[in-house]
Amino acid sequence: MTMGEIVIENLTKEFGETTAVDDLSLDIADSEFLVLVGPSGCGKSTTLRCLAGLETPTAGDIYIAGDHMNYRVPQNRDIAMVFQDYALYPHMTVRANMRFGLEEEEGYTKAEREARVEEIAETLGISELLDRKPDELSGGQQQRVALGRAIVRDPEVFLMDEPLSNLDAKLRAEMRTELQQLQHRFDVTTVYVTHNQTEAMTMSDRVAVMDDGHLQQVGPPLELYHAPENRFVAGFIGEPMMNFVEGRNEGGRFVGTYVEYPFDATIRDAVDGADDVVLGVRPEDIAVSTADGVDESDLGAHEFLMHVSVIEPHGDQNVLHLNHPDDTAEDDLLHALTGGTDIFEQGSEVVVTIDPSHVHVFDGESGDALHNRRIGPEAEVTNV
Amino acid sequence: MSQSTSDSGIDVASFVEEFNLARIGQYVLVILFIGFFLAPLETGIMTALKTNEAVARTIPLAPPTGEGFTWGNLQFALEQLSGAFFNSLFMAIPATIGSVLFGSMAAYGLTMVRWRGQMLFLILFLIGIFLPYQAVLVPLARFWNNIFPLASMLAPTFETLPVVQDFHSNLVPLMITHIAYGIPICTILFRSYYQSLPSSLVEAAKIDGASISKIYRRIVLPISKPMFGVVFIYQFTQIYNEFLFAFTLITGSDTPEAVVTLILPAVGASTSGIDFGIRMSAAFLAAIPTLIIYVAFAEQFAKGLRTGGG
Repeated sequence: MTMGEIVIENLTKEFGETTAVDDLSLDIADSEFLVLVGPSGCGKSTTLRCLAGLETPTAGDIYIAGDHMNYRVPQNRDIAMVFQDYALYPHMTVRANMRFGLEEEEGYTKAEREARVEEIAETLGISELLDRKPDELSGGQQQRVALGRAIVRDPEVFLMDEPLSNLDAKLRAEMRTELQQLQHRFDVTTVYVTHNQTEAMTMSDRVAVMDDGHLQQVGPPLELYHAPENRFVAGFIGEPMMNFVEGRNEGGRFVGTYVEYPFDATIRDAVDGADDVVLGVRPEDIAVSTADGVDESDLGAHEFLMHVSVIEPHGDQNVLHLNHPDDTAEDDLLHALTGGTDIFEQGSEVVVTIDPSHVHVFDGESGDALHNRRIGPEAEVTNV
Repeated sequence: MSQSTSDSGIDVASFVEEFNLARIGQYVLVILFIGFFLAPLETGIMTALKTNEAVARTIPLAPPTGEGFTWGNLQFALEQLSGAFFNSLFMAIPATIGSVLFGSMAAYGLTMVRWRGQMLFLILFLIGIFLPYQAVLVPLARFWNNIFPLASMLAPTFETLPVVQDFHSNLVPLMITHIAYGIPICTILFRSYYQSLPSSLVEAAKIDGASISKIYRRIVLPISKPMFGVVFIYQFTQIYNEFLFAFTLITGSDTPEAVVTLILPAVGASTSGIDFGIRMSAAFLAAIPTLIIYVAFAEQFAKGLRTGGG
């Protein structure tokens, strides 16, 4: 049995009437970086707290390195945890904060403890902060100390509960990279909880998406992005989020309120038997071109005339909010991403092309994916 | 409105407006209130420094003049009270420390440690606050005199100790009573403070491998320093000024172990009448220890109130 392997079997945690985590099973390999992601209240933090031993599972089993953990107190689990608010002891210096956990570990002399603290402080570049108190440190420095306090104990498993959410955007991006490097360097199994899908995508070996106490899908980030198993995962992963158009499957055609979209042969087989379907397409997969001199009769089956209602310029790219000309509703039908230099006028007419190879189709009732976009060996993503 | 008289060349109305009437009213009211609150204090100080004759002849607010002035009252009151000061502090300081410390421990156990039935215990603590003093006086006296006569048990030991005399042992039951009676309110005060602390601190310490007692000693106790200031001041004032328990457990003002609050009513009273100068002097002297505590803990007091505890 490898050291940092985590096995979660049918974990359920109830708080009175509410079920925070419902029958969750998950295997996490040794030295894997797994990100638990989901909206607030989805049970991701509760799962982490069960792993840490701060909550006792209502049902199910947790094993770390092959040992049953359910009733074991946190200090005997060989884990370290980084909290969202860092939870640094405010009355102690950074040195004392980092040393605190070592005091209970056997096999250290006083001098060895000091040496260990200084070694880790060196690694994290916080040596000069060792004699300061937490309230004299910036948010980024506090974050580093919190990491240092976890690393210094040399645990089998790191548990991180939204550790970057209190940092500003620039620092967060820097710390993402640094956390990844640290994790590789110390080669420790890491379970990382966040509601931020960018962190999930960029840092993880695998992502586990949770919603409403249920595990939705586990897989490498790009698999979740390109082959989501249901509508929730498809909508949660990706920014701006995937467009969903609700409609019916009528004889191999998608029929929505304003648009009709003929399915090609592959999709037709996949969606056969489903009546209510949801068409999903990512904003970057929508091609937009100017409608000048284009007549409606010239359009192909997968092309539509649309109206640009709002433009959000980002510099490197623009987000277009598109409506069907007949649509008077407030909310937009589609969001599309265009290159930063493709400038469209607000209020202008455009031709929108949705290639059948980019289309996802979900069951209208269950939300399960009936068909995901095709990524062949020749496609842009090869190592999914 | 200021335009009304502008034609005449001298703008009287705008001139008046600078003496904002509302503002003047405000100041007058503030000064009146200051006077209202300070007058008794001033009267007290003046009376303390007057001879008994001057007290009878002059109005209370007026300062003593010439032969009417004396330090004698303060001197006499100090002599009367000096033993009682020692008794009061000997009883109140350990009682305060004890109730505050136990209250903090109990609050920690009831707030930051999870165990079955803690709600029941919390309710018991709450009931403790509302237990009326009068209801327990008789059982209390019977307990310390007949069932568990701790004072007479300790008397021989106290005799051998330096500084204290054998009769000081009579203060120990009073001390313990105050500790027991102080724990519930201290617990509730600390509880609200501990509830405002982030739970992640204790959780982090748990994961760092600290035991429940180590978390209290190393994390919770040092963090609650500002709250200790608040509760300490409150509790010391309560115990030092308390009369009913002292009166019940220590038999009277003529005993050598009497505390300040027992002596105070007797100072300056005699068959020939009441000497107000001596009484006032004694009252001011008796208030000094609480004032010192307030000044000494002022910073922590303010900090404790700010941190949302009290």
